[in-house]
Amino acid sequence: MIKNYIKIAWRNIMKQKVFSLINVIGLTIGLSASFVIGLMIFYDTTFDNFHNDGDRIYRVVTNFGSPDGDDYNSGVTLALEDAIKEDLNFEIISGFYIERPAIVENKDNNSEFKWPNFVVYTDKNYFEIFDYNFLAGDEVEVLSKPNTVILTEKRAADYFPELKPAEVIGKTLVYNDSLQITVTGIVENFKQRTDVVFEEFISRPTLLQTRLRQDVLNKNWNNTNSASQLFVKVSESANFETIQKRFDELTLEHRSEDAKKYNNTRTFELQPLSDIHFNENYGIYDWSKGQASKSLLTNLALVALFLLVLGCINFINLNTAQASQRAKEIGIRKTLGSSRKQLIGQFMGETFLLVFLSAILSLLLSKWLISVFSDFIPEGLEFELFKSPIIILGIIILLLIVTILSGFYPALVLSKFNAVSVLQNRLSVGENKVKLRKYLTVFQFTIAQVFIIATLLVGKQINFLLSKDMGFKTNAIVSVYSPRGEREVSKKKIYAEKLRGIPEIKGISIGGNPPASFSTSTTNASYVDGDKEVTSELQFIHGDTNYLDVFELNLLAGRVHRNDTVRELVINETFGRILGFQSPEEAIGKNVVLSGENIPVVGVMSDFHQRSLKTGIEPMALIGDWYRPRFSQFQALHISFKNESSEGLKRTLTKIENAYKTVYTEVDDYQLIFMDETIQQFYSREEKVSKLLNWATGLSILISSLGLLGLVIYTTNRRVKEIGVRKVLGASLLQINTLLCKEFLILVAIAFVVAVPIAWYGISSWLQDFTYKTGISFWVFLISGSAMILFALIVISAKTLHAANTNPVNSLRSE
Amino acid sequence: MTNTLLKLSRATREVNSGSKAVKLLEHIDLTVTEGEFISLMGPSGSGKSTLLNCIGMLDSFTGGGYTFLGEPVHRMKEKNRSKLYKEYIGFVFQAYHLIDELTVFENIETPLLYKNVKSSERKALVADMLDRFNIVGKKDLFPIQLSGGQQQLVGIARALISKPKLILADEPTGNLNSKQSEEIMELFSQLNKEGVTIIQATHSENNASYGSRIVNLLDGKIVTE
Repeated sequence: MIKNYIKIAWRNIMKQKVFSLINVIGLTIGLSASFVIGLMIFYDTTFDNFHNDGDRIYRVVTNFGSPDGDDYNSGVTLALEDAIKEDLNFEIISGFYIERPAIVENKDNNSEFKWPNFVVYTDKNYFEIFDYNFLAGDEVEVLSKPNTVILTEKRAADYFPELKPAEVIGKTLVYNDSLQITVTGIVENFKQRTDVVFEEFISRPTLLQTRLRQDVLNKNWNNTNSASQLFVKVSESANFETIQKRFDELTLEHRSEDAKKYNNTRTFELQPLSDIHFNENYGIYDWSKGQASKSLLTNLALVALFLLVLGCINFINLNTAQASQRAKEIGIRKTLGSSRKQLIGQFMGETFLLVFLSAILSLLLSKWLISVFSDFIPEGLEFELFKSPIIILGIIILLLIVTILSGFYPALVLSKFNAVSVLQNRLSVGENKVKLRKYLTVFQFTIAQVFIIATLLVGKQINFLLSKDMGFKTNAIVSVYSPRGEREVSKKKIYAEKLRGIPEIKGISIGGNPPASFSTSTTNASYVDGDKEVTSELQFIHGDTNYLDVFELNLLAGRVHRNDTVRELVINETFGRILGFQSPEEAIGKNVVLSGENIPVVGVMSDFHQRSLKTGIEPMALIGDWYRPRFSQFQALHISFKNESSEGLKRTLTKIENAYKTVYTEVDDYQLIFMDETIQQFYSREEKVSKLLNWATGLSILISSLGLLGLVIYTTNRRVKEIGVRKVLGASLLQINTLLCKEFLILVAIAFVVAVPIAWYGISSWLQDFTYKTGISFWVFLISGSAMILFALIVISAKTLHAANTNPVNSLRSE
Repeated sequence: MTNTLLKLSRATREVNSGSKAVKLLEHIDLTVTEGEFISLMGPSGSGKSTLLNCIGMLDSFTGGGYTFLGEPVHRMKEKNRSKLYKEYIGFVFQAYHLIDELTVFENIETPLLYKNVKSSERKALVADMLDRFNIVGKKDLFPIQLSGGQQQLVGIARALISKPKLILADEPTGNLNSKQSEEIMELFSQLNKEGVTIIQATHSENNASYGSRIVNLLDGKIVTE
């Protein structure tokens, strides 16, 4: 029976090649998107799900609240660990400190490694929470002595390339030129997906021999560093309310005077291990890996769902439209004894065959899609994941759902035909089915239309953001960062001197970050005006006296600071306004209190945008390099070019790099960043949204148009006789074409009307995130509506013109 | 030993056409015994096809009684009725009604699929039938590749494959030329001699003469027997 069904299904598919192709294309697109996106969801939700009792492992994190907004820190104060040690709610408590050594040397083969990452200082408890497999070394006495280290297999292979794990035990590594540390164990790297990516575990007491000695000894309650991490494994009977209460008591007990004064709060919170991969507030340890975003995954899932539904709709429409052509077969089968159930079974089988065919194509396509969507797809995701049993099961379930979704209704319609009326050619096409097809077509085009409008508006917003004047010079300006860890400024001065000899360079400034960057440094500032005190957050940018000139920032009043180290402020207009000054001039000479110290305002600069245009302009001040020589805020040289165009740019850049090499002969850490690239990076997320929308739009138009084409082919074929009669009666080509197009264009127009409010609502809520937004212009809707209708017209006309052109003699002869 | 195959008593079929009720069949009384070859005659629209469809349980009477092999069809549920006709009734149509997408072999095989006959047995049965009708060489052809007479042969073969007691033939020769018609009618009388009961609807006096009994219909009523 099954064989017979498959046979007839296959013959039907081959007989209706165009319709089958339309169905397969639609379903393939929907399924491919679902496969890839499903794979991503699977990939991201299966991080760290392999640890023993993983559901009882939590990270303690800190949330800061202030009147200006909330702040999140993945670390906790070093003092917390001791305070909760005795709590029976916790089975194991493991704190560790993340600190990258500047240099690690293996004296045996004279190799050195700069800034190795994922190095932590920890103890035995860490290995009790996370179950590592020891390949060599002592598993019992873990990290109890100072100056011992456990390496992962991978790290050991870096440091000791020729040795087997067992041979590495007892070898010595030299950290930061001074610390002699012995390897006591080698553990296997986690084989499964994990965010716990540490490679090097130094015993905790060793911390006392590093620059962190004071921090570790003092354990200041009011010092929170994200490097200081705390993991706990709660006991099986743990009471989370008691834990939270204890945390709250501790924060209250250790609340600082400043916190009380400025109404700042702090809470400790338990973050489940499974949350780490998704929670952007706290981040993951490997920054380069990009974090999973639940909202992105949801949006992607929605896109996949839409595409899939569009494909199913094509199937439903084309199959019900064609129903009458299969009526005879159905009638005969019924007289031969087929029950309705058997017929439904047969049609569902046919649907499944088509879906299955599409699924195979989708699998092949997925491989390619994974590379196209590499922006969205996490690095470690590979095609091989399709072999995992859960994914295979998921695909089978998905195929069944799609089969039922697209096949069940047509099967019902087809199997319902009355055998006698079909065989006597008394078949009536139900008005309801025509209506349903119209609804579904409108639905398809509404989705496509919403995507078009959204694409245009998102593109318009991105364009607006990128072209808006930031308030300072953003093109033909680069920043060269000095080697990481360089804490003094002398070499930068030598370098700047060398650069001055290059004729293409217009200006040079030594300073901190450029005016707009991803990092901020903020403090609380207050100003006493008579008996009234104004407090505000104040952001800093650091720069020398040339900083304003190089970035072409306007000085509205006063002057810049006299030299790098003098404690003077050049504030922006916003800060002046917040402090209550009517004009820039009024601020000059006034004193602002920073950390209890009076600092004079010597200049006022015009406002500019410090970050992406999603946020507004914050109060800000330009200052010098106050903590020299202990510590320098100046990390970069900002260089502006005389020539604004890219002509000769390459040569200039080579000169800049060569000059760098003559100054920094020992290190190889050259980083040059263009200002306009930084600004583009502010909007990488928006660019992603835009790319996603482009694809979604293209594909949904494609699927919907194919469906429309199918319907047009079908109805036009049915009306061949009518067309012939009309032509004989003298209708023109245009008149006939209009007649045929009209009913479909009306559907597309209705879809436009439905789509406009949906798109308008969606886009305005998306724009809520931006302080500066482009207008939702009328013409965007107009353009996208006309584009859609034009597109539909082209698709429809492809068939109708052909039909209208046929010689009526041919279509009328057979009758 | 003549058993009653089916019995109609005051069987009526009424349909609503617009707001008016139209009687397609009115008070039909008919008893068919096994082994009969009945010809239904009458002008177009006299109700021949309707009567055949109702006897074949594709349609149902709206009034009166219908017993088939002693079972009251008019009180049966759809499912049992379908079981009954699957088992005992075969149809032959004027327009042959073969499934275009299936080969000759597969067309003949189809009723067996719906009776859940095993694959090996199906093959044997179909092969016998092909042999008997001398169409073995055509078994892999599609209906469209056959002449009308050949198509009707396949149609009859398909009707016979499930070994029915009753064959209902609605103008089986209506689309055929006289030579083909004669062959088909010869086949029918041969089958009738083998014990199959046949009811055919026909316009042709000549065809009707092959039957053992002629029933004349006019405007949904039996006029003479």
